[in-house]
Amino acid sequence: MEPNENSYLTITQAAAALRRNELSPVDITNALLERIEAVDDKLHCFITLTADLAREQAQQAEQELRTGTDRGPLHGIPIALKDLYMTKGIRTTCHSAVLQNWVPEVDATTVTKLHEAGAILLGKLGMHEFAFGGPSVDAPFPAVRNPWNTEHIPGGSSSGSGAALAARLCFGALGSDTGGSIRTPASHCGIVGIKPTYGRVSRYGLIPLSWSLDHAGPMARSVEDCAIMLQAISGYDAKDPASADIAVPDFQSGLKDGIKRLRVGVPRAGWFDENLGVERETETAFNQALEILKHLGATIVDIDGKPFSLARKANQTILVCEAYAYHEKTYKETPMKFGSSVRRRMLEGAFLSAADYISAQRARDVLNEQIRTNFGRVDVFAVPGAPRPPEAFAAMDPNEQNLRPNFTNPFNLAGLPAICVPCGFTAANLPVGLQIIAPPFEESIALRVAYAYESATEWHKHKPSL
Amino acid sequence: MSQEISIDGLRKMAERAGLELSEDELRRLLPGVNRSKKQAAELRELIAAADEPAATFDLQEKHKIDAHGT
Repeated sequence: MEPNENSYLTITQAAAALRRNELSPVDITNALLERIEAVDDKLHCFITLTADLAREQAQQAEQELRTGTDRGPLHGIPIALKDLYMTKGIRTTCHSAVLQNWVPEVDATTVTKLHEAGAILLGKLGMHEFAFGGPSVDAPFPAVRNPWNTEHIPGGSSSGSGAALAARLCFGALGSDTGGSIRTPASHCGIVGIKPTYGRVSRYGLIPLSWSLDHAGPMARSVEDCAIMLQAISGYDAKDPASADIAVPDFQSGLKDGIKRLRVGVPRAGWFDENLGVERETETAFNQALEILKHLGATIVDIDGKPFSLARKANQTILVCEAYAYHEKTYKETPMKFGSSVRRRMLEGAFLSAADYISAQRARDVLNEQIRTNFGRVDVFAVPGAPRPPEAFAAMDPNEQNLRPNFTNPFNLAGLPAICVPCGFTAANLPVGLQIIAPPFEESIALRVAYAYESATEWHKHKPSL
Repeated sequence: MSQEISIDGLRKMAERAGLELSEDELRRLLPGVNRSKKQAAELRELIAAADEPAATFDLQEKHKIDAHGT
């Protein structure tokens, strides 16, 4: 089915059209619900569709906008949520048999904020079970498929968020990111996703994977849309112990300021050639992206990749220990309710010692210092969004994550803001992503670089045919 | 460096941890557990005696929450 042309709009374009009365929230909501009905049986993006609620919220938004109540750029915009965000009265499954019929009594803080901003909830999206392991092939819900080629994985763990955006099934989505779970599906699905600084966005009401590494963040089809969504969900929240009590800037204000004289650090040596290294087409697309950044006025600076490479080990050690600590009781009571992939990875945490965990947290401090020191020489880092294009389901290797450099999890360990934007396609028409990483609480810089790159290229305008 | 864990060693560790795992599960788990233990050992080589864990107890946190009236 060819999508209604309105489903191609970005949030920015749709918000402008709503205010010119060229579109109505009811029209765009109905168009997306029709498209979900038509194509989602091939993709399995949605676990729970909240069609009646969406129509009701669309009517309310239409009425409010008509009578002059304007709650901002998300007012009347249909969005969807990774199914680990608690939604009051709507089941929240984490794509797992463990929570298959669980209905929370509260909303996550981010869900409340999106509701207050007037966003319309289309439903809850598929993911890797408990945001862990790989595509959930033995979970009670089918694994999400990549809209660019349904034989391929969409990346995870926010797989439904990435695939639904690429397939034009929603205008924006929330994902979560503990080791790359926003940026990997953004890279594999050809959309934009930003993992903010640790503490910038409340995690209250998200089912944890690893408390000290978990981040909540937005995914959308343009950098500006991500800025709009990030604005709506950022800010201090006393309900989240890790929430940062720090002012939230206007993420859209400096977006178009350009990147002349910006110094881009590339930590290639000691990292990019790890084990199998970076896949050839991915590295070509990444190098071409650096050339474009240079053309836009940036300077490319080589920096030492070794601390970034070592960070993966600390991230993985901390993650499996914290994940097992969270799930231990449930696992011992109902082990077979967990899928095989999550069970295998989570149990690694059961066999590490307290000293292993604490050593990893000590190494985290050492490595973070080595990584952050680079910000004395450069303004941002640039790395590929993923080391290779999305593999086929049939060719998946459970050890793949350790065979190539991991370009995402060092920035969970360091808590740094990181955005992924489309930067090319392989010969097989599979997306490739570029990642930009900024100093703590400098999401505006990452957004500005990504916006400059996006404005100079056409990759984000490509659409999968379904 | 860490010593490789055998399948017998993993079975004993599982029993001590209160986990009931089949032989098949133990075999599937073994490579990942050994990789995790090796990584954890490698991380120890990065740290000096004075390095503290990244997560520390913060007495000011309570005051911050009180200041927001919650």
